[in-house]
Amino acid sequence: MAHISIKDLSVEFAIFGANARSLKNTVLAQATGGRVMAGARDIVAVRAIDKLNLEISDGDRIGLVGHNGSGKTTLLRVLAGIYKPVSGSVCIEGRVGTLLDPSAGMDPEATGIENIYLRGYILGMSKREIAAQIPDIAAFTDLGDFLELPMKIYSAGMQARLTFAISTALQHDILLIDEGIGAGDAAFQEKAQKRIEGLFARSSIVLLASHSDALIGRFCNRKVQMEQGRPIADLPLIPEPETMNGPA
Amino acid sequence: MAENVHAPEQTLARDVRPGTAAVPVKLITADHLADEAIADLVEGFRKYPIWTRFAFHEIRQRFRRSVLGPFWLTLSMGIMVAAMGLVFSTLFHQDMSSTLPYIAVGLINWGLLTSCINEGTAVFIGNEAYIKNVPLPVSVHFFRMLARNVIIWGFNMAIYLVVLVWFRIVPDWQFLLFIPGFALFLVNAAWMGLAAGILSTRFRDIPQVIANVVQVIFFVTPVFWSPATLSSRPAFIEWNPLYHILELTRAPLLGHDIAPHSWLFALGLAAIGLAGTAYLYRRAYARIAYWV
Repeated sequence: MAHISIKDLSVEFAIFGANARSLKNTVLAQATGGRVMAGARDIVAVRAIDKLNLEISDGDRIGLVGHNGSGKTTLLRVLAGIYKPVSGSVCIEGRVGTLLDPSAGMDPEATGIENIYLRGYILGMSKREIAAQIPDIAAFTDLGDFLELPMKIYSAGMQARLTFAISTALQHDILLIDEGIGAGDAAFQEKAQKRIEGLFARSSIVLLASHSDALIGRFCNRKVQMEQGRPIADLPLIPEPETMNGPA
Repeated sequence: MAENVHAPEQTLARDVRPGTAAVPVKLITADHLADEAIADLVEGFRKYPIWTRFAFHEIRQRFRRSVLGPFWLTLSMGIMVAAMGLVFSTLFHQDMSSTLPYIAVGLINWGLLTSCINEGTAVFIGNEAYIKNVPLPVSVHFFRMLARNVIIWGFNMAIYLVVLVWFRIVPDWQFLLFIPGFALFLVNAAWMGLAAGILSTRFRDIPQVIANVVQVIFFVTPVFWSPATLSSRPAFIEWNPLYHILELTRAPLLGHDIAPHSWLFALGLAAIGLAGTAYLYRRAYARIAYWV
């Protein structure tokens, strides 16, 4: 059973001053030592997540909202194991799938098929798992023979469809999504919605960071508002009826 | 949508799906981050299906639509070897049949060592988008760089085969020593690349420093010139560890013996280097995603 338990989590960024990152400054700082060091190294720590507590249970589809810099993406990166905390703990039960950059691993020079593999490997799929997904992705994207051509000749809409189709093929217990998951032209939207529903239905827990109330209202059943690295509101949402019909 | 009442069915449904039978539990804390660093290296290495594929992909991609493909690597190196071989054998009145194989093997292996170091400086900086958005072990990017350079080295070794045939060199039993020699050579190239990567990520002057140092060492180290012609060996040869690790791969390929102290130098360098790099990685690991 998937579960996430976050206790007193804090994350800090050390911001190096414009010059503090060069070697000279550290060497000099160490040579002069002591009192001057603090000033010479001007490192500013920014607390991106501040003693955050959150319990997330099986079935939760959380919409993370908040201003830019409120810590949404940082929180997802901690859950993905990318950013290490300075204090506190996170206990995650379940396999985590991450969609922070929907096109990570893809290469415009490579063909559509090659990109399905490249992106699939980055998403943690095996060669066999990817191969099994290809007919589905080909059917969904309607790209046909274009899949044998380099992705750079695709229109922006075609690229978006391919990216979307691969990312939404994930099968994990826990799903971390940052912003843009919707894709493509208006005619494509309907199909895309269905596919997102399928993806959400396969996952036990979803965390979706977004500025789009429509997206969150459509797919989430819980809304967590972040501000300055903390949740300031945690509300249940009543999802629209379609979401209930997913093949769960 | 899945209230607690439905939970049993959900669990059951998931259990049927392959690969999800056991739900893994992961604890993320600020403790033991240094130990996680070593685990990251092990995990990263075990992701070899990913990094070998991406390494091959990068090379294929670089030469896509070119007629020669990756054999451009071979050809470029071949031209370099031939030119230097001609110049040096003419200038110093040396025998082509000994100068050219020496320069070929020296340049090819030196190329592997220095690209590991030079490209090592960018393994983290250059993969910022991956490191920040993809939950792979950070060391995957380092192993990918290593694999890519070993593949390029493989293409360059075609020149060695040409040289063997051209000068009718018949490899004897010493050739077998190339296997342990190359392994030790690679271990040294690897730690140098990783150390360069860690330091460069934290201190952005390091890549420039390294590029310059490597350039100078190329001339100081007997790569394209042979110390055999010198009456006495200056300290910068005898105590140059890079010369000794280069000898591990060069001597067996030319049918020469590897001097015992070259083994010692290379082993010592590997031990010190691995320990030092492990220390660096343990200290830096938790911050790499923040530094890039």
